[in-house]
Amino acid sequence: MTQVELSAVRKQFGGYVAIDEIDLDVASGELVALLGPSGCGKTTTLRMIAGLERPTAGEIRFDGKDVSEVPVQDRNVGMVFQRYALFPHMTVERNVAFGLSVRGLPKAEIEARLDEMLEVVQLQAFRTRFPAQLSGGQMQRVAIARTLITKPSVLMMDEPLANLDTALRGEMRRFIRALQQRFGITTIFVTHDQVEAMELADRVAVIFNGRLAQYDTPERIYRRPASLEVAHFMGAANIFPGRLVARDRIETDLGLLECTPLAGMDVGATVHAMLRGEALEMTTEPPPAGRQAIRGKIASRDFFGASVTYGVRCGSQQVTVTENARRMVDVGAEVWLDIAPEHVWLIRT
Amino acid sequence: MTPATKTHPLTRRERRARILLFAQFVPIFAVLVILFGGALVMAVLQSLGFAPWFGVNTFPTLDYFAALWGSATFWTSLGLTLYYATVSTFLALVLGTLLALALVKTFRGKTFYKYLYKLPLMIPYTVGIALAVIMLGNGGMLSRLAAFFGVIDDPGQFLQILKTHYGWGIIAVYIWKQTPFITLAVYAVLLGIGRETEEAAAILGAGRRTIFFRVTLPQILPGIVSSTLICFAFNIGAFEAPFILGGGFPDTLPVVAWRYFNDSDYTLQLRGMATVVSIGIVSGVILFAYLAVYRTFERRMGRN
Repeated sequence: MTQVELSAVRKQFGGYVAIDEIDLDVASGELVALLGPSGCGKTTTLRMIAGLERPTAGEIRFDGKDVSEVPVQDRNVGMVFQRYALFPHMTVERNVAFGLSVRGLPKAEIEARLDEMLEVVQLQAFRTRFPAQLSGGQMQRVAIARTLITKPSVLMMDEPLANLDTALRGEMRRFIRALQQRFGITTIFVTHDQVEAMELADRVAVIFNGRLAQYDTPERIYRRPASLEVAHFMGAANIFPGRLVARDRIETDLGLLECTPLAGMDVGATVHAMLRGEALEMTTEPPPAGRQAIRGKIASRDFFGASVTYGVRCGSQQVTVTENARRMVDVGAEVWLDIAPEHVWLIRT
Repeated sequence: MTPATKTHPLTRRERRARILLFAQFVPIFAVLVILFGGALVMAVLQSLGFAPWFGVNTFPTLDYFAALWGSATFWTSLGLTLYYATVSTFLALVLGTLLALALVKTFRGKTFYKYLYKLPLMIPYTVGIALAVIMLGNGGMLSRLAAFFGVIDDPGQFLQILKTHYGWGIIAVYIWKQTPFITLAVYAVLLGIGRETEEAAAILGAGRRTIFFRVTLPQILPGIVSSTLICFAFNIGAFEAPFILGGGFPDTLPVVAWRYFNDSDYTLQLRGMATVVSIGIVSGVILFAYLAVYRTFERRMGRN
């Protein structure tokens, strides 16, 4: 169990600034995702924590101790690479035992720990196979086993679910979660996929252009993004610029909306209102009086199997609504959007 | 009972494609069979006493081989040939691999170095030999510089590098020419395997030596084997460097063969052929054994 702390960490490659300045605090045993578009600096951050890159400035602390200058071999971290980086010329068992054999452990102990670890990742039957003879999911389990067998203080993963198909993703997600809880190991992983980040992480660090944009639980990042950039990156479709006319009233092109007041926002401020598509209640009858409802007409319909997404024309504005596919409303139908004030989230401009 | 699978006869288009494919192979077959195979057969026949155009036809006889292999100088020549070929290939391999490992790292001026190291590949061996004479000979640049700076009194006292049976000159020329070649081959393989397995090994606690011997080397082995194979095969049969820079009698086998061919007694050409065939047998056996060992290793690493 190790607590990881990044304090004013900066990384420059020649004249190129990969990480401007990042502060990050990962609690012991926590599972944190570094999320951002490609080139935002998340992999560089991970590589600095691993010790593969040296920060240009700032400190990386494990349990309060500065490890910025500790060479990668002595840092006792684990890393699962995106393409697994298994040793192609070694069998599964030799791959997994590699970390122990370079530490010069006695053979009997290596054997015992190898057996135990292969049992954990359910690869006993594949121990004499070579990586080329394994499927993607099996290769990933080998990579995880090879790392965990050395009992690292911090586990790092680069895009852990990216190379797997949909069915395997779910299985692997549960597997990683279960392992992480079983070993109680502090885990940091990198992803550009917001769904992957929300699926796995306790907390998500959103990084844009080498800066930390927001660091919070998946739910808050999704429902209460701190900036427009984060909201857009998390796939928010309904964002309307407006002006606060009262602490809980915002004037937008969609109309006057009642909203959750946000601390530190003054009346008269220009802000954005975000409505999550699945938080809107769509009815074909006018809702009872006293509800905040907007009338519109269905302009488009996209069927995704489990869910349906409607484009609803409300005056000059288009609102995206996502529902369970329990019913199908026809294009052109008149509908009412019931907007609960707690689902109108304000974003500073 | 399983139903019998019905095979379809070839369509006209498939038959045409097959003929076309065969036609594409004809030029390479012609070169291999007529030029190389024909010459090989003739060489073997001559070494076994078949040369009616010289008025010699004692085919089949092993006399020429017996005469050759029976002399002590043949074995000395063979030893020198193998010594120059092995030492230079090995040293070029070490230097080439080190250079390739350095080139995958990022450093200032890398593009320039990437051009610079390939330079010897474009310069002919003969020029390299001439450079060796100019630089390394007694009376060459190094000896004159040593005398100028007072390390020795006279250029003539300089260390004998060329024209000794240690063959430093020959080895130097081979290394100069072949290091870039091996670098090129190993560098390409290194680029293909990427840095990730090395980084994974480092994170798992492996030091630089362990990473090289247990992770990198097994992966670059195909490049090492193919490039050293070519270099060794060339070195064992090369003529001009040992001829010009070697220590004289006893010469390496290619030079011995050349001397037989150039003798006024042209019946000695048959012994020359026996020498050539001997070089072929020796290099064939060594390279075959090398490949066999490598194949066993490959199978152990799961590559088929």
